[in-house]
Amino acid sequence: MDARKFYLNPSAYGMPTRDELVAMRIWDSHYHGFQSSPQPIKQHQETMYYVERMGIERVIAFDVGGTWQRPLVDTDFETQKWEILVKDQDRGVSGIIPIEPSYPEKSLAKMEKWIRHGPCIGIKYSGGNEAGVSCNHPNNDPIIKLAVELNAVIYIHTWLKVGGTPPRSGGGNSPGESSPMDVARLAQRYPGVSLICGHSGGDWELGVRAIRPFKNVVLEFAGSDPHSGAVDHAVRELGADRIVWGGHGPSRSFATELGKVLDADLTNADRMKIFGGNYRRLAAPIFRKKGLKIVL
Amino acid sequence: MKHIDRRSFLKNSLLTTAALSLPGGLAVTPAAAASAAPAGSAQATGLVDTNVNLFSWPFRKLKYSDTKSLVAKLKKHRVVEAWAGSFEALLHKDMDGVNARLAAECRTNGGGLLIPFGSVNLAWPDWEEDVRRCQEVHKMPGIRIYPGYQPFDLDHPDMERLVRMTAERGLILQVVFGMEDPRVHHPQITVGRVSSAPLIAALKNTPNARVQLLHFSGSVRGEDLNQLMKETSAVMDISRLEGNGAVGRMIGSAPGMTAGRAPVERVLFGSHAPYFPLETAILKLIESPLDAKQLQAIMQGNARRLLPRA
Repeated sequence: MDARKFYLNPSAYGMPTRDELVAMRIWDSHYHGFQSSPQPIKQHQETMYYVERMGIERVIAFDVGGTWQRPLVDTDFETQKWEILVKDQDRGVSGIIPIEPSYPEKSLAKMEKWIRHGPCIGIKYSGGNEAGVSCNHPNNDPIIKLAVELNAVIYIHTWLKVGGTPPRSGGGNSPGESSPMDVARLAQRYPGVSLICGHSGGDWELGVRAIRPFKNVVLEFAGSDPHSGAVDHAVRELGADRIVWGGHGPSRSFATELGKVLDADLTNADRMKIFGGNYRRLAAPIFRKKGLKIVL
Repeated sequence: MKHIDRRSFLKNSLLTTAALSLPGGLAVTPAAAASAAPAGSAQATGLVDTNVNLFSWPFRKLKYSDTKSLVAKLKKHRVVEAWAGSFEALLHKDMDGVNARLAAECRTNGGGLLIPFGSVNLAWPDWEEDVRRCQEVHKMPGIRIYPGYQPFDLDHPDMERLVRMTAERGLILQVVFGMEDPRVHHPQITVGRVSSAPLIAALKNTPNARVQLLHFSGSVRGEDLNQLMKETSAVMDISRLEGNGAVGRMIGSAPGMTAGRAPVERVLFGSHAPYFPLETAILKLIESPLDAKQLQAIMQGNARRLLPRA
């Protein structure tokens, strides 16, 4: 099935064509093609059909060197993932690794293997961990310091799930699942380090407020429902330079994630920043350090 | 994004005319999206959006909460008809006031595009009178209920009667399974989960009922969806379908698939605007590999079968 064949002309519906999406140079900073499947390589190949169809220039795979549920345990497919990341680097596939702040030393060893000596370009804090420590716990200090040394991109999953008694936003988070407020506290301690606040905190109205004062934090919107007006609001409060885009496929559709940005009233320049320019700016130092080609 | 200029509109209108004159209808070869689609493609088919709501979402000012701006937005993206409920129906008690305002708003500011779908609340007394007024006074073709926000589930003792009553009156019944991710609800709000099982039982007892599920995802394993498709004639909208190529996977047109979970005849375009961006629903039709016949069915044909053009 040809990914570039369409029976519907997007222009007739006020939507960008594939060529226009390609021209926006979209980098998917949140790709789960390798996630939670008994056949992650096959799933990745299937997901890349939609990456191609929607004109995405590059995906940043998250589930490398383990999974978000078990970040420090290699699956049976890590060698194949490594080979894909090396082979397809020039064809738009990059990767970052989940780390586990419950085990700082093991996380550092993983960063040495997969980032300093391997193909990956960053780290990801997942949605919970064994010790129940957030991204602002002192366990993270050596992790952040090594990430800075490596020029690694730092992505932090955040949510503010309603729960608890009495109910409150964030009261339903899992142990160790960071909130945007945790990211804000970490950002205050490391003012020179760029951090990505993932999922916009789940609840973007609160997430934006939490990180607003900290210029070294950028917001990523993937993995939550599309809310009309959300990106407009974030641009008003943070500026277009502080938002990066993620697709969260295959569990979220590109329609969901692209729609969030296309809904917003943006200049083409700002839209291109959000779709990829801002992430390229964050990733450029490590691309260059590794001798990888990057055009900002 | 882009607006449709007069030149494009005329061009596509002409293509529509050409398509109608073609033997074999809409089955044509695909086109690269970068170029104009060929005559006879689904490009000129207007969208019937079966799931929009008017007025104010109770917890946030929405970008297109003003009806005129919503209608302009719908028209910009080639929506030719939209079935409109009212956010007021979620929490208000004076349902006739809700329905009267909805009907008036569609008439006054709907631009000839909005079709009002009033609401009744089974938890409030004498809801049957609201059904009658929706049809006889407000001339509405259907009813939309919001269980969970409206304080009842589908196992309410009156549910079966509502299904029977709408069927007898020839009304469409839309059942909303969700409005917002429960993880981001306002902490003071408790919205119960809506279970489809009682609805399935009610529909089996009233097989001529015309029922549409809105924002329905079904259970993780999909038993409820399977049962709804096999044992009832209910249809659904696409607003809650999620994941890469979700519409195609639902109807079995995604790469490598030989069967879907629902026949294409049971799937209707619905955006959940203005809460969701309208763009999201349209992009679902682009992301999924759908042929012209499937597109035509989802974009308009299935809705027209349920509610012929007035």
